[in-house]
Amino acid sequence: MRTKDISYWLFLAPALLALSLVVIVPLAMGIYYSFTDWNGIDSSGFIGFQNYIDLFKDKAFMDALWFTVKFAIVSIILINFFGFSLALIVTSKIKSSKFLRTIFFMPNLIGGLILGFIWQFIFTEIFSSIGEMFGIENLQGWLSTTNTGFWGLVILMSWQMSGYIMIIYIAYLESVPGELLEAAQIDGASPFQRLRYIILPLVAPAFTVSMFLTLSNSFKLYDQNLSLTGGGPFDSTQMVAMEIFKTAFSANQMAYAQAKAVVFFIIVAAISLTQVYFNKKKEVEM
Amino acid sequence: MKSKKVLLSLISILVIFSVFLAGCNSKDSNGSNKSDKKDVTLDIFQFKVEFKKQFEDVVKKYEAENPGVHINITTVGGGQDYGVALKSKFASGKEPAIFNVGGPQDVADWNKKLADMSDTKASKAALEGTLDGVTKDGEILGLPYNQEGYGLIYNKKLFEQAGIDPASIKDFASLEAAVKTLDEQKDKLKIKAVFALPAKETWVTGLHLSNAFIAPEFDGNVLKAFDAKKVDFKYGDAMKKFLDLQNKYSAQPTVSLDYSQQVEKLFSTGSVAIIEQGNWVYGSIAGVDQDFADNNIGLLPIPVEGYKEDSIPVGVPMYWAVNKTLDKNVVAESKKFLDWLYTSDEGKKTVLEDFKFIPAYEGYDTSKISDPLSKAIYQYAQDKKTIGWTFMGYPSGWGMDKLGVNIQKYLSNKMSWEDLVKESQKSWEDARK
Repeated sequence: MRTKDISYWLFLAPALLALSLVVIVPLAMGIYYSFTDWNGIDSSGFIGFQNYIDLFKDKAFMDALWFTVKFAIVSIILINFFGFSLALIVTSKIKSSKFLRTIFFMPNLIGGLILGFIWQFIFTEIFSSIGEMFGIENLQGWLSTTNTGFWGLVILMSWQMSGYIMIIYIAYLESVPGELLEAAQIDGASPFQRLRYIILPLVAPAFTVSMFLTLSNSFKLYDQNLSLTGGGPFDSTQMVAMEIFKTAFSANQMAYAQAKAVVFFIIVAAISLTQVYFNKKKEVEM
Repeated sequence: MKSKKVLLSLISILVIFSVFLAGCNSKDSNGSNKSDKKDVTLDIFQFKVEFKKQFEDVVKKYEAENPGVHINITTVGGGQDYGVALKSKFASGKEPAIFNVGGPQDVADWNKKLADMSDTKASKAALEGTLDGVTKDGEILGLPYNQEGYGLIYNKKLFEQAGIDPASIKDFASLEAAVKTLDEQKDKLKIKAVFALPAKETWVTGLHLSNAFIAPEFDGNVLKAFDAKKVDFKYGDAMKKFLDLQNKYSAQPTVSLDYSQQVEKLFSTGSVAIIEQGNWVYGSIAGVDQDFADNNIGLLPIPVEGYKEDSIPVGVPMYWAVNKTLDKNVVAESKKFLDWLYTSDEGKKTVLEDFKFIPAYEGYDTSKISDPLSKAIYQYAQDKKTIGWTFMGYPSGWGMDKLGVNIQKYLSNKMSWEDLVKESQKSWEDARK
């Protein structure tokens, strides 16, 4: 094993140091705090599993969790669908594909908070103006109901992340050997068959990576949520990250929020690991 | 086996290193422990964004007059954000000398840090009632920033065109009549609606609106609210009527209407005639239309049926507190600075003319109050037509995250008023067990 080498560890040390200082130590401290009644200023000590017992009875937390799960499912499907479609378009033989790549990737360069405000303006002002002009009821009053808030978030997230996911798919699509596709074409495979039997299996690793990224990003979404709907109306579009933040900072229950965060961490970790495990099975060796 | 040893030594290096890093941080925030009277640094951590620049200017002046005193100001805006930032600041070990507390809940939270201010001139000059929220066991633990008030801000021109005399609005019935008159003439006046109710901003509904109807239960005393185990909604019906009136005649949809739409987009452009807001909106309105802000806005009372129908809620938004755990010299200099700001002639002039505050202290030339809203509020206060501010005495997060959210549910027809009262009462009691 290389690990016997002192140089191996020396090279690893800076990264390990950084990782432990900003991830592992805070995580351990967080788990410790979740068993206390710390309020951010001082604490009276250990209270055992009380926080964990409370949170499973906490309707607001459960609602937020359920909303997040629904959002994540829809987002993962849409983002990967759009990302993969865009990748197929820009790797095909159309002109201006370089230019299109840039355009599709751009939304990613804008911060989530700003995007939230921009889309808020689009949904509340532009949608309602268009709705008034053409008499379309459904375009009015966006973000004022749970449903429109949900779809607003989905649209925003898909628009922002599809370009980024597209880049990952492009990398894999371009590594698919041309002679394979050519051989298939000569054998008389239709475009759909080529996609289904050659391209998809070969870019399976891209699906593993992209789905993992979209999954963890959708679950952890906070800033877009804050600036687009602020959790409104009546906290019905509030996602887990926001619910935890509110518990910590507006209700002053730091330790309780920390317990929620630990549970949230376990859920996201479990789902992601399962997803990666099943995706890995689908990958093929060249 | 060798790798295990290496790993162990690495981990121990890590631990030592982090302890060392933490140690770097816990130095005294003054940078030096010299009890030398000549040199002292005061870190101020405050929340009021609106007067950041003017405040920095006055501090420069003070530094010039008092060589050896250095003052650093950090400003973090917004009620909730400030609380968050302040906690982080203290947790990081860089404790400020002067910071802000909002009321009894903050006083209880920060109790170990708050210096007694009874020995300052400013605390003696503070107006009656303004120190209620920060008085504990005979100690005065904060000094008021200023006074603020809120009511129904209306557009004078639109009232004139509709033929309504604002002076005639003295109770709920006359307000309702005026609203109906305005609503009938919507097309003629070219307005979208009479009101703009920003139910998205839960502080407007859950704190301000509710306070007008909940404060009477506690005689307008914030400490009584803070000690209360339950809330009765004694004036709940009047609150429902007032909320319904605003909602019915408001620009829709109210649950996604926010502060900037209410104040800047709708009211400042004359698209709505009345909004429920306070004197802090003067700047926003002036930013859109200076002339309108100076000459065409007035303030109507919030009618609380069965209590006072011709009054407005007036209170202190925030208090200055001094951190007593720091060096004695720093504490003394901090108090000296605050005294200078609120009781010296130069300080007073700044507070009135540059900060544009409604003073919470005696001995000010109040004819100098500049903007029309502050003038109106000061007048209400002089006429004793005020309701206290008790929302700082609500349980943490109750006003915004419980009541404000329930009001959104009620406005979306997802909750009946009876359930709103029941739910809100229950969460108050749960918080105060």
